[in-house]
Amino acid sequence: MSMKQRLAYNFMKDLGAPVAMGLAAKGKKKRPASTDSPFGPRLKCAVRLKEIMTRHYFLARYAKGAKPVAWVTSGAPVELLRAFDFYTIYPENHGALCGAQRLGPEYCAIAEDNGYHQDLCSYARIDLGHALSGKTPVGKLPSPDLLFASNNICQTVLYWYRVLAHRLKVPLLLFDTPYNFENIRQEDIDYMVNQLEEMVPVLERVSGKAFEEETFSQVIHLAKDTSRCWGRILETMQRRPAPMTIFDAFVHLAPVVSLRGLPVALGYYQILLAELEERVDQGIGALRHEQKRLMWDNIAIWYKVRDFSNLFAERGMNFVTATYTNAWAETSAHMDVEKPFESMARTYGQVILNNSLNHRLELMERLIRDYQVDGLVIHSAKSCKPYSVGQYDLKRILMDRLEVPSVIIEADITDFRAFSEEQTRTRLEAFFETLEAS
Amino acid sequence: MNAVPVEIWDPPIETANANVHLQPYICSVVKSGLALILEGKTKILDGFLFPHTCDSIQNLASVVNDYLGLEIPCCFFYHPKAPFGKSTRDYYTNQLKSLAGVLEGHLGPVGSDELKRRVTQGLDLHRRLADAYEMRRSGAIAASNTSFYRNVRLAEYQHPDDFLSGFETFLAVSKGENLKGPAVILSGILPHPEILRLLDQQGVRVVDDDLLSCGRRMPLRFGEAQDPYEILVENYFAMPPCPTRGSPIQERIDFMMDKAQASEAQGIIFCVIKFCEPECFDVPEMVAAAKEAGLKTLILDLEVNQPLSGQLATRVEAFVEMLR
Repeated sequence: MSMKQRLAYNFMKDLGAPVAMGLAAKGKKKRPASTDSPFGPRLKCAVRLKEIMTRHYFLARYAKGAKPVAWVTSGAPVELLRAFDFYTIYPENHGALCGAQRLGPEYCAIAEDNGYHQDLCSYARIDLGHALSGKTPVGKLPSPDLLFASNNICQTVLYWYRVLAHRLKVPLLLFDTPYNFENIRQEDIDYMVNQLEEMVPVLERVSGKAFEEETFSQVIHLAKDTSRCWGRILETMQRRPAPMTIFDAFVHLAPVVSLRGLPVALGYYQILLAELEERVDQGIGALRHEQKRLMWDNIAIWYKVRDFSNLFAERGMNFVTATYTNAWAETSAHMDVEKPFESMARTYGQVILNNSLNHRLELMERLIRDYQVDGLVIHSAKSCKPYSVGQYDLKRILMDRLEVPSVIIEADITDFRAFSEEQTRTRLEAFFETLEAS
Repeated sequence: MNAVPVEIWDPPIETANANVHLQPYICSVVKSGLALILEGKTKILDGFLFPHTCDSIQNLASVVNDYLGLEIPCCFFYHPKAPFGKSTRDYYTNQLKSLAGVLEGHLGPVGSDELKRRVTQGLDLHRRLADAYEMRRSGAIAASNTSFYRNVRLAEYQHPDDFLSGFETFLAVSKGENLKGPAVILSGILPHPEILRLLDQQGVRVVDDDLLSCGRRMPLRFGEAQDPYEILVENYFAMPPCPTRGSPIQERIDFMMDKAQASEAQGIIFCVIKFCEPECFDVPEMVAAAKEAGLKTLILDLEVNQPLSGQLATRVEAFVEMLR
């Protein structure tokens, strides 16, 4: 790491970033809340969230050379990298950001022009589009010194990161998590632990920093507290009216995904939790008149978050839970500072998408009961096969067992070329009728 | 265990009923496999064994096991993904032993001598296939592309005793010089019968392949282990590079380019099954490498059991013209 770049990074961190954030905040005009809006008051901490994420991407511009940089998949045990002080970039989070800004097709097209098929995951295509062109709405992403992937969320990340490793000529570390067709087995845990231990010398070499188990344990402690706090935030939506919507949660998810294991993420969630608890105490809901409570399955349709938020809110329908947002809270109980490597294996080896569909069914049944869900919206995401294959069966079984009406939306996470406005509207209208009649 | 494994790749079946369970963006290999089950054509089986090949097969396994209510037991096999560490070999050995235990529970015990005999026979089968590939590469097999793959693919479902004797006969009657016509390599998942037929009509020789169902399963070298599990482990780590095992792309490119050089191929046809992510991520890099080496390339988006469209056929014909 270069001293000059480290100085530049520290300068921007301590002085440049606060000044830039301050100027950006001053230039922002506040929109007055509409009196006929179906929504309750806005979350105050949304401003703080924006600051944190903007700062993260702003500092990323100065990270190269100052810190070791890793590109990481959302399900990878980033805690290990934190122990080596890596600056981490999450291409999936960047993809979601591009998707929300409706840049998906533009960046995907760059990858497609270079031979990557339109049927491939659009997070991957956006990332490859960025890698090929340098285009990004965040200014600049630092090139990686290391790629860190875990196939606990899909095999796609492995194929995708292999391409990055090949093109960028950087090492790829894979945390290979055997899929749990049934319950997790001790031999799988041992295999995962061995892999993590074998990664240590590689990480020491790339980062130039010696491994300290105590630091690793501290990071795990912080990550566990963050995930638990995130879980408590989600649990506030069990209350009627729910103090926020799952569309808010999709956005507020960013720190637990991208900054997990850092104090800033925990600090932020403590503020958010306090605000939500206050809203619960005061009976303030995300919607003025919450009439129906819904569950979302799968990743968000990023370019439609605002539209859907309005569309459902106008009918007094609030999404109060999602299998997706729950994923960053579900397995945190396995984190154990006394057994750092084993606890990483247990935590990350049992995330929702690394388990059989029966596991998801049980989870959905529990969420439906705990959050008093009236209906279910299932996003069949062309980009995400492990999340989507099996949804038709889940829909049928949930109807049979719990008589919960549901609708399937065929779409994509960021590429709106795979979204049919008309077909979706027709399906949703029928769903609304069923719900309103129930 | 006296069980005959029958691989399901592209059974000739309509897949409409699979659409009740699977989205439109799922590949035809997975759909036709499920359709076969839904039509009750697998009732004669004593069990299913699902390998962890890709996300779609992973979830198909879960759908079949969890939701179809079949009485046929499902078994699963997870193979470790590269880059392989020191612990991977032990894990893979344990996986094999664990699978053997599960299968014994369903199919009955297997003696160690019988296991050794069958594993050794598996090696013989691979050696024989490797010989056949070498003969074809050097132009010493006069069979058509269609006939060659029809015979090679019998290994997917025939008992090895039957396959080996039948394959010997095929090789014996097919011996002969075959050096005329442009030479190509096939890459992708499996050989599409209509592509083979078209290439036969055009007088094109398929001299080698990097197909998942064929050439990419044959070990690159044979080890010296004696223990049957050790033999299987050696085989796994000696298999050609493949995205389903997480192999680095450069290894795959090198593997393909070595084949092209050894066989003096003029072009490579990428037979991509639509929606197959493992293949589609690699294709751009492989095409770029092939082009850089002066090879002609053709990418075809295919579905198993679907007739070749006129447009695709024309593209194949135009590609062949370029090779001449």
